[in-house]
Amino acid sequence: MAGVAKKDVVLQVDNLKKGYGPVTIVEGFSMKVHAGEAVALTGRNGAGKSTVLRCLVGADRPDEGTVTVNGTKVSETNAEIRRAVATVIDDLDFFPDLSVVEHLDLLARAHGLENPDDLVDEVLEEVQLVPQAGQLPSTLSSGQRRRLALATAFVRPRELLVLDEPEQRLDVEGVAWLGERLKSDLAGGLAIVLASHEPSLLEAIGARTIRLGV
Amino acid sequence: MILSTTDERFGPIGVVDEKQLKLLMKDWRRGRADRSLWQALSDGYVMVFSIVLISAMVISSIVRAQQVVAVCDTAGCLAARGLLPWASVAGILASTLVLSRMFGPVVASAAEGFWLMDGPTDRRRLLSGRLVAAIVLALVIGALLGALIAALTGSPLADVAMWALAGGFGSAGLLAFAAAEQGLDRRWVVTVVQWVIGLAAIGTLVLLVAGAAGWVDLGRAQNLAAELALIVAGAGALLIIVAGFFAYRRLKGVRRNRLTAGGSLLSGLQGAAFALEFALIRDILIEAKSRERGHVKPTRGTGSGMNALIMRDVQRLWRQPLPLLTLAGTVVVPYAVQALGLAQLNPPISGLVLVAALVPFMNSLRVLTRTRGLQRCFPYDPGRVKQAAMVVPGVLALLWAIATLPAFMGVGGGVTVAPFDAASAAVVTALAGFLGAVRWVSARPPDYSGPIVATGLGAMPPGLMFSLLRGIDMVALVTFPIVIGWPVWISLVIGLMAFMFLRSGLDREQLMEQQEEQKRMLEEEKRRRSGELPPKQKIKVQRNR
Repeated sequence: MAGVAKKDVVLQVDNLKKGYGPVTIVEGFSMKVHAGEAVALTGRNGAGKSTVLRCLVGADRPDEGTVTVNGTKVSETNAEIRRAVATVIDDLDFFPDLSVVEHLDLLARAHGLENPDDLVDEVLEEVQLVPQAGQLPSTLSSGQRRRLALATAFVRPRELLVLDEPEQRLDVEGVAWLGERLKSDLAGGLAIVLASHEPSLLEAIGARTIRLGV
Repeated sequence: MILSTTDERFGPIGVVDEKQLKLLMKDWRRGRADRSLWQALSDGYVMVFSIVLISAMVISSIVRAQQVVAVCDTAGCLAARGLLPWASVAGILASTLVLSRMFGPVVASAAEGFWLMDGPTDRRRLLSGRLVAAIVLALVIGALLGALIAALTGSPLADVAMWALAGGFGSAGLLAFAAAEQGLDRRWVVTVVQWVIGLAAIGTLVLLVAGAAGWVDLGRAQNLAAELALIVAGAGALLIIVAGFFAYRRLKGVRRNRLTAGGSLLSGLQGAAFALEFALIRDILIEAKSRERGHVKPTRGTGSGMNALIMRDVQRLWRQPLPLLTLAGTVVVPYAVQALGLAQLNPPISGLVLVAALVPFMNSLRVLTRTRGLQRCFPYDPGRVKQAAMVVPGVLALLWAIATLPAFMGVGGGVTVAPFDAASAAVVTALAGFLGAVRWVSARPPDYSGPIVATGLGAMPPGLMFSLLRGIDMVALVTFPIVIGWPVWISLVIGLMAFMFLRSGLDREQLMEQQEEQKRMLEEEKRRRSGELPPKQKIKVQRNR
């Protein structure tokens, strides 16, 4: 993330509206996220946190309003957006026949890293999945799957990280580790948007909070 | 408050009557039915008529094919008539063992496992009916398949009956054997037997092709008496009695997990089958298999960018060589079809077989297209990601075309065709199989959350029928011109267009998104006209006077 000025706007959302059928979930939602800044979406269940995040990464199309990343309108199929935005939301799938370490190796290589062994080993150790390196995803516990999902975001370059309740299914040590990890990424100039119910995590990363559904 | 086992309010447990429990379950199930079988059939009368009509057509086609093939006396036909039923029955028996091992063969639902088997019940009394039902089912299906193959090779009626007995009793016997092994919580014996019979089936098929092509002299093997099939039937009947007895005895000690694992798999498959989602059925099976395997020796990837994805698919070939062997095995199909004198139908028949053989190489494509989460992690547009996942299967299809070229030339028997025409037919067949597999793997499932259409077959989502035909539609589309004698380039052009369509990221969802966007704009315009929204600022066109 070297060279990214702290005040650069990475993500801009203007007047976002999204509903399902006759029910409007979010309306008139706007925000800007700068490089090196973390924004947390909070609110009760059903307030629209996940809906907003899905619109941010292009998984859902807003009914009204615009979402831009580095000035480019977000579209899920845009390769530039895919390069810049790392996401861990609820629709991440895994290859049933590739082990934990092979998933990370493949993603790092797909992003252009010729020899990703060191990075993959480092991330694997961070997410405490070294003993499970050769395991197939279907045999992982829900917490381990969550760690693997998070690891997929850390083995690739990124300018914006979008996380939907990343603390879910993580143990206490896991949440503490995640806080430290995100903090160091922020210092490197990464922009982060996350939905979370975990005050300790938000406090650790010093996130600006936007409460939805009030 | 902790309830003690000595609490006076709880009387003695007494004797559990499993028969009463089963009757109780039956009663509950019937009590929840909101219509009789007759009412259900009346509601779906079009489906009933359709089934009757299609069955009649299938039987008529089989009889006609049987009559045509019965008079064929070429070396290929004789070899097929002599050996194909042997290969097919061996294949049916091996498949019985595969399915038995996969499901149990005796299964129990998760609810039964939790509510009934946790209590002091006799598992043998609960499950014996299920064991008998599984054996009977194997008997009926095995017999039908055995008879069908024998009829299609032009065998006389007496031989058809003998092959039916061999297929039926053989399958039922092996299922009883697998059930006996399940009682011992052992898998390896069934696996070994399954491989031996499976290899015998493939070996016989290869021998048949080699004999028909004149590469080897089949000698007396060609005239192998169909009566020998009765030995298979007899051995099967003996197994039903002996292995069935042991299976029944061992039901008492069968592990609950062995029963409920198969039950959970079955219920998952049933759910997918009710939605007619065959790709999902395969996903469930693969997931179950990977859970069983659990662990692999990690291998370092190769290359970077899109090459990394392609090279991972290459590495998969070494990790799972069985699909590669199966693909190699399917090379004999065009030879066999040509040897049977069905040259005109060779492209569609072999194309469909190739679809089934290529699907296991498309695991990457499947995962990358079924949900968008993982695809989004790759920094390329969806079309390129899809294309990368198609490279290895595409190369394999090309190799298959090269290997089957002699078959289309008539080297393996049947009609002799000029090399250029044969090469075109081989390429078109491989292209059809490849595109069919891509479509089968990557097509969107029917949308049950959208509008449902009322039909004579009941309510169904609009895309259901297309979903049923996916894969088959590509093979039909690409090979149809060849079947009706049109020039080959028409098939190639259709195939090329289909490829462009399948590889592009323009899927139904994107089209729907575009449609939604247009609908939204239309809605906005309507609201503007009705005064709900402020009018758009009019652009004043400057005109020179």
